[in-house]
Amino acid sequence: MTRTPLIRRPDVIAVLSCLAVLTLGATLMAEAGLISTSFVKTLGKTLCLCLAAVAMDLVWGYTGILSLGHMAFFGIGGYAIGMWLMRARTEDVVAAQLAQRPLPPTPAEVDQAAATQIFGVVGSDTFPWMWVFADMLWVQLLAVVLVPGLLALVFGWLAFRSRVTGVYLSILTQAGTLALSLWLFQNDSGLRGNNGLSGLQNIPGLTHVPQSTLSLWFLWASAAALGGFYVLARWTVAARFGSALRAIRDDEARLRFLGYDVEGFKLVVFTGTSMACGVAGALYYPQAGIVNPAEIAPIASIYLAVWVAIGGRGHLWGAILGAAAVSLLSSWFTGGGAPDIDLGVYVIRWTDWWLVLLGLGFVAVTLLAPQGLAGLVLRLARRRPEAPARTLEAARAEPGE
Amino acid sequence: MSALLEVSGVSKSFDGFKAIDGLSFAIGEPEMRAVIGPNGAGKTTFMDLVTGKTRPDSGTIRWGERILDLTRLSESRIAREGIGRKFQKPTVFEDQSVWENLALALRAVRRPLRVLARAGADPERIPALAADVGLKGALDRRAGELSHGQKQWLEIGMLLASEPRLLLVDEPAAGMTPSEREKTTTILREAAKTRAVVVVEHDMEFVRRLNCRVTVLHEGRVLAEGSLDHVTADPQVIDVYLGRG
Amino acid sequence: MTLILRLALALMLLGPGPVLAQDLQPALQAEAERVERASRRHVEEVLETLAANGSPNLQPFLEAWQDKGVVRAEDGLFYYGQREGDVWALTDIDSGAEAGTVDRRAARQLKPNAGVRGVIAAALVQFQLSDPRPGARRAALASLERDPDAALLPALRASIEDEPDPAIRALKTDLERRLTARFGEDPAARIAAIDRLGASVQDRAVLSRILATDRIVAEGGAAPEGAIVAGPSDLDEAERLALLVEAGLAPAPVTRMARDMALTVAITDGMVAGRPVATLESEAARWEAYEALAAGGAARPRPAEAAIAEALASHAVLDIYREADAGVIAAAEAASAAQSARLARHGAVDLGLDALSLASIYFLAAIGLAVTFGVMGVINMAHGEFIMIGAYTGYVVQTIIPDYTLSLIVALPLAFCTAGLAGVALERLVIRHLMHRPLETLLATFGISVALQQIAKNVFGTQARPLTSPDWLAGSWIISDAISISWIRVAIFVLALVFLAAIVALLRRTRLGLEVRAVTQNPGMAASMGIDPGRIGMLTFGLGSGIAGVAGVAIGLYAQVTSEMGAGYIVQSFMTVVVGGVGSVFGTLAGAGLIGGLQKGIEWLNPSNTLAAQTFMILFIIAFIQIRPRGIVPQKGRFAQ
Ligand SMILES: Nc1ncnc2c1ncn2[C@@H]1O[C@H](COP(=O)(O)OP(=O)(O)O)[C@@H](O)[C@H]1O
Ligand SMILES: [Mg+2]
Repeated sequence: MTRTPLIRRPDVIAVLSCLAVLTLGATLMAEAGLISTSFVKTLGKTLCLCLAAVAMDLVWGYTGILSLGHMAFFGIGGYAIGMWLMRARTEDVVAAQLAQRPLPPTPAEVDQAAATQIFGVVGSDTFPWMWVFADMLWVQLLAVVLVPGLLALVFGWLAFRSRVTGVYLSILTQAGTLALSLWLFQNDSGLRGNNGLSGLQNIPGLTHVPQSTLSLWFLWASAAALGGFYVLARWTVAARFGSALRAIRDDEARLRFLGYDVEGFKLVVFTGTSMACGVAGALYYPQAGIVNPAEIAPIASIYLAVWVAIGGRGHLWGAILGAAAVSLLSSWFTGGGAPDIDLGVYVIRWTDWWLVLLGLGFVAVTLLAPQGLAGLVLRLARRRPEAPARTLEAARAEPGE
Repeated sequence: MSALLEVSGVSKSFDGFKAIDGLSFAIGEPEMRAVIGPNGAGKTTFMDLVTGKTRPDSGTIRWGERILDLTRLSESRIAREGIGRKFQKPTVFEDQSVWENLALALRAVRRPLRVLARAGADPERIPALAADVGLKGALDRRAGELSHGQKQWLEIGMLLASEPRLLLVDEPAAGMTPSEREKTTTILREAAKTRAVVVVEHDMEFVRRLNCRVTVLHEGRVLAEGSLDHVTADPQVIDVYLGRG
Repeated sequence: MTLILRLALALMLLGPGPVLAQDLQPALQAEAERVERASRRHVEEVLETLAANGSPNLQPFLEAWQDKGVVRAEDGLFYYGQREGDVWALTDIDSGAEAGTVDRRAARQLKPNAGVRGVIAAALVQFQLSDPRPGARRAALASLERDPDAALLPALRASIEDEPDPAIRALKTDLERRLTARFGEDPAARIAAIDRLGASVQDRAVLSRILATDRIVAEGGAAPEGAIVAGPSDLDEAERLALLVEAGLAPAPVTRMARDMALTVAITDGMVAGRPVATLESEAARWEAYEALAAGGAARPRPAEAAIAEALASHAVLDIYREADAGVIAAAEAASAAQSARLARHGAVDLGLDALSLASIYFLAAIGLAVTFGVMGVINMAHGEFIMIGAYTGYVVQTIIPDYTLSLIVALPLAFCTAGLAGVALERLVIRHLMHRPLETLLATFGISVALQQIAKNVFGTQARPLTSPDWLAGSWIISDAISISWIRVAIFVLALVFLAAIVALLRRTRLGLEVRAVTQNPGMAASMGIDPGRIGMLTFGLGSGIAGVAGVAIGLYAQVTSEMGAGYIVQSFMTVVVGGVGSVFGTLAGAGLIGGLQKGIEWLNPSNTLAAQTFMILFIIAFIQIRPRGIVPQKGRFAQ
């Protein structure tokens, strides 16, 4: 119900202020040299993952569609922007090299040299058809949202139309994702096969800007995107639309008999969130520097679902909690940040055992705390109304003493 | 009076078992009709056929002035055409508040993008509707917390909110206390003043109180039709209802 | 090669009968110098004289000569010499008697060069074709096969008659047919031989030799007199032009590289042909500048496009048969077409067998999943890891029991038990507590799958572990040269059949099966009739996981055992279950057949690209689900939804 204006809702305020504090704090600390550029990038990337998680919460937590393919849309967003980054930058470099020759380079020469540079690894020296407009930023920016959107639209239309639901739908999305990643693994997919696109951290036209500054810009952009999408998502699930989504999750047949075109709603959510994931990916990969088909494999999408489940479904902010907590913990454990445990006979190295911990921990969360971190937070918050009272009493009592 | 709904010669079988066998049925507007019949007579299946949940093997189902063929329309489209349905088991959205349940059902645009853009829906009507079905004080409660009877009413309230021209009600009185039944009867009779209502019911007493034409179904066919007194006098009906007792 | 003919004649005269004891040494002495310092130029002549002598000792001598086993002592005589430390142990060439030893400097070893050895070897073949040792005859045939020689044809034919070994005789007849097809004395004989050619690789090689073509530039477009044209070449315009230019029949075009070179050379003070260098940043501008250069005589003018087009139009590039006889060509073409058709048929059978074995693997991998999915309505993402557990069980057993047959016999039931127990544990600890939350079950089992995979990686390392099959399973069952199937795959097929039969029997004939089917069709009703769904769930989970374990051993035998092997099969297994129809054994069978067949079929259409094949297969399955959302064998009843 939209009885409180969106912007005054406590969760919106909390999320937006957390983001503001985070970006400001990170900026100041980075300028002061307290945190490294790579940590700033980790933060920025985490925000992008949070964005994808919020989208996943819309699809799964609210609408009940356990999509095992949303990270594929994320990856596609990365590929779309990566094509421009790689092509424009390679052309700049190649043109500078060719300018050393006695004759000024023709556009065709630059093109061919750039293509050879990019596609030499897969034994080709021409740009595949899908790269025709890759040197135009606006085309690729459109592709960031349109390609995931279109794919989701077609796939969703087929799947929802034939009333595939529940685990079947999950398996179908997983299969679709697998098909996409296998296709990308091929050398003649036109996207450099398993090499993927690399060097994405170098932004054409901004090569004079140091990475330490660029990483902050991307952090701000990621925070703005997450904040913006959070408000949008909150607006979406408020009022009748959100109510309809939850009705689909709980009993879609019933909703159909109320005259709602359930397939249409699903399609809107599936497509809309796929586009959001595309945007998140487009922000993520320039910070990661490389995108390859392994990032699109179904397992990435399953992890996305795991984050949302750990964070707690159906709150939007729970997804942010889950994604941030798990992905930061994961980089702490796998990055060697966690101290090894020496048992005398065996040393537990977290780089080896983190996944075991994550897998079993996730099972435990599903079994013991199905509401996830959000459930925990809510339980604490429900206890809070008493807490301030008690402190007030204490405050009142104090002067008397 | 031309019929609002006209079912003619409809058959449906499941794995060779004929659940509905050449059924014909018509109802005008406004009218109240009770459908009775022993268990397994095909009453629920009949509603499934009209609402598009099940497709008939043969026969036609015609609807409204434009004589639409309902057998070709999707469930949601049929609902938008003005056919509302209450299920045998109360089905409300348990996780949402009474308000939200009613708001979902309100007669308004249903197209996803229009809904997203906040089109239609007039929430002013919600309190009045809740009052109609006796849920005025429960607007902010979760539907899952309501009693069985309250859920039944909420479901009827949702049906009324969508302002259907034809209301299909499957065993509304099942599991209700006598006073709740009383109230249900009142609500249904009120509804039937302006629209067509089909009530499926087992309980003769309840049907008697509805005071309307009765159609008796048996093994997927219409056995008899007329006033309650007329059909209960029919030897075939007596045979079906009592002969096996 | 008259020499060889004459040698052959000499041999025939000698025949296998009683032999005139003719000594070789005198003949050798007559040619002593040329034998000792044999050269490629006159070795044939020498051999001819030696053959004319007709000594039976010629063949061993030639063999020894070829192997550098002949020495010439200071007395000028030739001996077989065996180097023993600082001395040569000599053997008389004719009598074969030991002839004492001489100091290593007192005898000179004959070291024929490669060319000479080649001639000796060819001469030896005909001896060897009738050699009493079968091994030598086979070697001779192989050598002749490698190096076919028309001149040896009569010798070969002559040796067939008296060949005692039927197998070698068959080899000889085959080879004779091939040699006749290529080198026969008249076209009729050749055509007859071609018509009798079989399907072996060698026979097909002969056909392609006969049908070999040369590429020629036909001036004026007409083929030269007497040549038989196979057809116009499949070259594109640029390639044809290059050939024409090479033959001097077309003007050479100016390449872009040549143009740019000319332009670069002509740069003076930043100007080329009166244009600033900076303006040459398009193809058109560069050509213009080049033409300006050419007009000034500073570069070769570009030939007119019309002249090039004219040359291309008036000359053809043709493929011409090397074979001159039209009848032979026609016969070879017909035989080759028949061969291709036969090969295609056999290829199809082979493909079918491949698909069948792939389907058996999918069936084994998926049937456990189908059973658990059908009964409990949950997807077990850790199913692939049960496959892995089975495979590692097999590996561990093999490290303990060195005998491969025995270890396999132990491993199969043990893998069933380990994986089955793991399945029961998973059911009791996790799945049971997530009743009616299928999506959460899916994710929770995924968590298990991640943990199990990583544990396996930590315990067994990341490199693949072999699971060696016993000898009797190694190798292939070769049905024809185009149809073969490895015994492991046959075994997997049999295993799949056994499990199919066992499961069908279990479901149809036992109380447990009855209860399982009841729970599958209507869990609520089954529970109300006193069937404990918890017990059924646990048992089916154990059964399904156990079968996955056995599948793991089977898969490990032909692929490798890694911690990720299960993940590779899980999606295919889901597909198999979904396509087949949930809760049906025969549905799973049909699903496995469809998916296995489809995958092989697509791979066959596009053999270079198995990744694309999998992509297309999945897309096909997505489309298939549009048509039959409930699978090939849909579950029936009111509670199917
Ligand atoms: N989807 C279905 N699959 C199989 N049988 C069905 C299905 N739906 C209804 N039936 C059968 O059709 C008959 C009529 O059922 P129903 O319409 O529910 O009767 P009732 O008059 O009691 O509402 C019953 O025998 C029932 O078992
Ligand atoms: Mg009923």
